[in-house]
Amino acid sequence: MAFLEKKPGESLATDRRVLAISALVVLWLVAVPFTTTDSLTGLILTGLVFVMLGVSWNLLAGYAGQISLGHAAFFGMGAFVTAWLSTPTGAGFPESIQVPLIPAMLIGALAAALIALVIGPIIFRLSGHYFAIGTLALAAVIELVMLDQRELTGGATGYYIQADLSIGELLSHGDVMFYLTVIATIATVVITYLIVRGPTGLGMKAIHDDEDAASSLGVNPLKYKMYAFVVSSFFAGLAGALYGHYTLYINPQSTLAVSWTIDSLVVVILGGMGTFSGPIFGAGLFLVLDNGLSAVVSGYSEAVEGILIILFIIFLPTGLYGLIKEYLVEEVSGSDAAQTE
Amino acid sequence: MVLSDLATQTIVNGLLLGGIYALAALGLSLVFGIMDIVNLAHGHMLMVGAYIAILLFAATGITPLVGMLLAMALMFGLGVLLQKVLLQFVVDEGLEQPIIVLFGLALILQNLGRVILGGDARTADIGIPGNGFDVGVAFLSFPRTVTFVVAVLLIAATWAFLQYTKTGQAIRATAQNRTAAKYMGINTDRIYVITLGIGTALAGAAGALLSMLFPIDPYVGWSYLLKTFAVVVLGGVGSVLGTLVGGLVLGVSENLGALYLGGGYRNVVSLLIFLGVLLIKPEGLFGGSGGGE
Repeated sequence: MAFLEKKPGESLATDRRVLAISALVVLWLVAVPFTTTDSLTGLILTGLVFVMLGVSWNLLAGYAGQISLGHAAFFGMGAFVTAWLSTPTGAGFPESIQVPLIPAMLIGALAAALIALVIGPIIFRLSGHYFAIGTLALAAVIELVMLDQRELTGGATGYYIQADLSIGELLSHGDVMFYLTVIATIATVVITYLIVRGPTGLGMKAIHDDEDAASSLGVNPLKYKMYAFVVSSFFAGLAGALYGHYTLYINPQSTLAVSWTIDSLVVVILGGMGTFSGPIFGAGLFLVLDNGLSAVVSGYSEAVEGILIILFIIFLPTGLYGLIKEYLVEEVSGSDAAQTE
Repeated sequence: MVLSDLATQTIVNGLLLGGIYALAALGLSLVFGIMDIVNLAHGHMLMVGAYIAILLFAATGITPLVGMLLAMALMFGLGVLLQKVLLQFVVDEGLEQPIIVLFGLALILQNLGRVILGGDARTADIGIPGNGFDVGVAFLSFPRTVTFVVAVLLIAATWAFLQYTKTGQAIRATAQNRTAAKYMGINTDRIYVITLGIGTALAGAAGALLSMLFPIDPYVGWSYLLKTFAVVVLGGVGSVLGTLVGGLVLGVSENLGALYLGGGYRNVVSLLIFLGVLLIKPEGLFGGSGGGE
């Protein structure tokens, strides 16, 4: 298990074991729609959406150190912009602006990134606590305004999406959305990985560790914060677009709700903030806990999430990733020492 | 003419409401100024305080003005407990950990509120008879006036406590420089416990007062968190007078926003003011960058 002991500059992807495990996971995901029930497929799709949300929030919060509490806004705006393009009549737009679903989802994600690009230079005038609460307020403003724009969003009634990507009898719409989500999740993970391992990732970590020091060494903090914010918002928007077009119904009160921010945060804290594979483990753990515990103590899922993030952040700040790493490294430390060249 | 009367009335109501906002914000401001923590659960603590008053009123008919005292006592206990059990592990550990612990606490309080009390909005009545009175063209309703007066009295009491008692001085010293305060023999751990207790108690008091004016549901926490933080930003962290002025400004502008833009924009107005001030003058319209006044 030496792969967990890579130095920062080394690439995880060069390790054949990691590649093999990843390939197995992808193969398993491909088989999911054929081997499980629709509801289980939906559950795993939700897990993939959590991975996208967690990985993207982690880029911004864990690597660049900007604790945003407004992630839900980008998730929701990605979903709404995509819905306007895939089902324009729902918002009173002419039929002619309709775009096929896959490009529509990319445009939705780009729209979320564009919002981040526009508000980034303003909101990054804030830092620390002020940034966290400023992003929370911003997301609240977006939610309230969207809720009020009844003709565009359906208001409290919500917005019904018409989309059908089913391929004959073979694959239902949900199954196709599942595969698209798998592809999007892989893209999110790979692109984020390349960013984090590259010079940009180093810049982000530098401003996270000490913004003043990084700045004095010629690292432009705003540039790296913007980079993280825009990329993170793009993937959050893409996740929203996928999820909205899987459920075929979105609502400003649920799709833009703070609960998506909470989920992103919980996934990252459980997995390990600022570690690359943390959010991936975290999404899996969260899905199991959320469903397992809600069967045992129904109605208390939020409280359970709250308790989990408190306990993890105090007693296990490196998350599940840190736990696994510690356990494995201890176990193999003897043979590990012998292997080093 | 009718419109201007309406506007006057709206401003008066805004001022009366603003007093309670200021009281709620004072707790947040104290904790932020002294412990350097933004209490993300502050709005949810306010919600709990409101429910204590509502439940007491529903069960016994005791006015929430008395219920407020019970709410303050219980919430003080919650604050002390929170600091001793959880926050002391993370309070000086930078930004991420306290924010996430308090975010988690907010989730727990919201969930417990929903499970124990149901998702429906509830409200209490002031429970004591009294008539409002006219001042010029404006009418001061009895509950609004009483709650405003109580809120301002509590703010004044907090100010006097900080200004004139030995513990208050120790709290202000810790806010100015926690290391130096420690060298002067101040037990800063104890100061943190007291500060969080007072901050939480003030949230509970504001909640009890608000329960007489507005329906409370388990989800009001986030919205009151943002409102109270807006007041802190308007007034400047750690400034008692600034907080009072900030509360009044927010109350008035919110009510005017609701009057001219429609009720749905009540919260949007307060949030935009908040973001605007935050971006233009992050140290607040009044007072400095922290520390007691």
